Amino acid sequence: MKKIFIIILLGLFSAIPAFALDGNEILKQVDRNLNPESFEMYRKLINIEPDGTKKEFVMFSIKKGKDKIASVFLSPASEKGRSTLRIGDNMWLYIPNVGKPIRITSLQSVTGGVFNNSDIMRVDYSAEYNCEKIETIDNGYTLYLKAKLKNVAYETVTMSIDSEKLLPYKIECYAASGMLIKNLYFKNIKDFGNGVVRPSLIETDSPLYKDYKSYIVFANVKKRDLADEIFSLNYMHKIDGLR
Amino acid sequence: MRHVFVLLTAWFMIVLFYGTAFSQNTDNSLIDLDLEFKIEEVKKKPYSINADIEIKETIRFFDRNALLFKQKYLDEKKEDTAWQTDLDLTIEGQYQKDFIKLYGRFNGLFYYNDDENFESERKVEETYISFQPSFSWAFDAGKKVHKWGKGYAFSPSAFFSRPKDLDDPDATLEGYYSLSADYIKSMEGVLQTIAITPVFMPVNRDINHEIGPKDELIWGAKFYFFAFDTDVDFMFLLSDNMDDRVGIDFSKNLTPSLEIHGDAALVKDYHQYIIDADGNTSVQEYTAFNFLLGLRYLSSQDTTYILEYYRNGQGYSPREYENYFSLIERGFEQFSNTSDKTLISTSKTYSPYYNQQAAMRDYLYLKISQKDPFDILYFVPAITFIYNMNDQSASITPQMTYSPLTNLTLEFKTAFLLGESKTEYGEKINKAKIILSVQYYF
Repeated sequence: MKKIFIIILLGLFSAIPAFALDGNEILKQVDRNLNPESFEMYRKLINIEPDGTKKEFVMFSIKKGKDKIASVFLSPASEKGRSTLRIGDNMWLYIPNVGKPIRITSLQSVTGGVFNNSDIMRVDYSAEYNCEKIETIDNGYTLYLKAKLKNVAYETVTMSIDSEKLLPYKIECYAASGMLIKNLYFKNIKDFGNGVVRPSLIETDSPLYKDYKSYIVFANVKKRDLADEIFSLNYMHKIDGLR
Repeated sequence: MRHVFVLLTAWFMIVLFYGTAFSQNTDNSLIDLDLEFKIEEVKKKPYSINADIEIKETIRFFDRNALLFKQKYLDEKKEDTAWQTDLDLTIEGQYQKDFIKLYGRFNGLFYYNDDENFESERKVEETYISFQPSFSWAFDAGKKVHKWGKGYAFSPSAFFSRPKDLDDPDATLEGYYSLSADYIKSMEGVLQTIAITPVFMPVNRDINHEIGPKDELIWGAKFYFFAFDTDVDFMFLLSDNMDDRVGIDFSKNLTPSLEIHGDAALVKDYHQYIIDADGNTSVQEYTAFNFLLGLRYLSSQDTTYILEYYRNGQGYSPREYENYFSLIERGFEQFSNTSDKTLISTSKTYSPYYNQQAAMRDYLYLKISQKDPFDILYFVPAITFIYNMNDQSASITPQMTYSPLTNLTLEFKTAFLLGESKTEYGEKINKAKIILSVQYYF
């Protein structure tokens, strides 16, 4: 009887930390560890087709707050000067030839390949998702995230987190139907300076794009104070001037 | 020359085919993938120069029975087709030092066709100086494109820009000389951003003279608001040459896949120049109301649909348009019987009004494009329909764009014009068109 009591007691105590974990707080911490609240960065996006053909895009991006991000393409020459802006769920694309911003959606891709606009113009996960469930796993946690609103690229997201670093190492993205849209793998943790330590590579694959691979390589991620006015349609063609 | 183009195109195709095959052998190992990203690669210089060169072959198939063919050529043109080879070079450069930026975009077009042999055109599309003392303020002076309005194919509220080419709405436009400012203010709350853009555009014999005969200072402004996840602009323009006008536009995502947009404009005291079947002319003055309502939808299969309804209040009624065609018909008969060109010449003086794109009142525009079909990345087939609701004539344009290599775009485009006699698209000079182009950016 005494043994049974001890086993039940141990079982209860071991369960307490899992119940005490607040998934949404962890998610916010993950967001802050991935990047500062207001910052700039350079990214290289690489699309690789099944035959090995490779196409690269380089962009300069700035982000402020939970849900404002703007980018400008620096290369290749055919894309140079194109800029994107996201404020919450609103996304725009400015093409120099067209000369005015047009609205785009999170499911489209300004670059083609596996990454869509939502991946390229990523805002804080906590701005878009609520954590509905958290599980403790061997080396961390699994957060089960559900979109706060309907108009997001992925209805649910499963995020595997390293509990020591509080950084994601794998994210599975699902459609409303439950279909897996893509996997994101966060790799090569790097110290960018000034306390910014985060994965410098995101790799993705998708059952929808069989044998295609896409990568985002990060460089020069650093804190920067940015005026709100930068995140507006009228400023889109001037983003390159911020470099 | 056309043979040179065909050879060049064939050469490009071979290079692409073998290039792709070659890359399969050499580049398919991810071990070789360079995942290092050194910031030196993109270190900013104060200046930058970019260019693109396009080689284009256009084959036009004439509709010899069309009234606009008869108006232009009478019985002088014997060929059924016309070939044109274009070599189009655009160079863009900028220099930025602190808060001052100099920008220029120049275009040179060299072309060859059977009528004109070798010809060339050069133009300065944009050249201006920009002064940006803060994130909220910017001032621009020089030749600049001010593209207003939310419409894709049509833009009733694009007051300060030249009309778009309906066959290529994304093409760059040439600007006008102007002075403009831009003030942006962001704030917390429902109204997140406001922006004010005043524009001043002088017209005299030295600059912007193509706008109209009167020397004047045209001015206007655009007021932008972003609230409730919706973009809204109010705008106005005051001018004698262009007629005073006020407008509004908006754009909003109804769902992640569905966007709605609209443009509307009132043109005060618009002068419409009319010619009847006898060649009598008149001017009708009224306040014209132009508007557009459009949708952009992205399906789960990555198909994009752009649908726009355009009401052109400055357009001609079916009766007025039919009268114009009757005049050309009578003019051609007169010429055939007596060699007298009087009526045809009279009709030609009104061709800038009647022969322009979307010259009638109600149009539907639909563009359907499919991204990366058959697992071919950077391949976009599309088809565009322009339907004249007043006379039931139409234009259908299938096209394919493929970018198999970085900075290289291939395009194959065709156009078919359909319509009964004395309808807009039924009486165009061409009944079909084929365009093949290779564009390289560097």
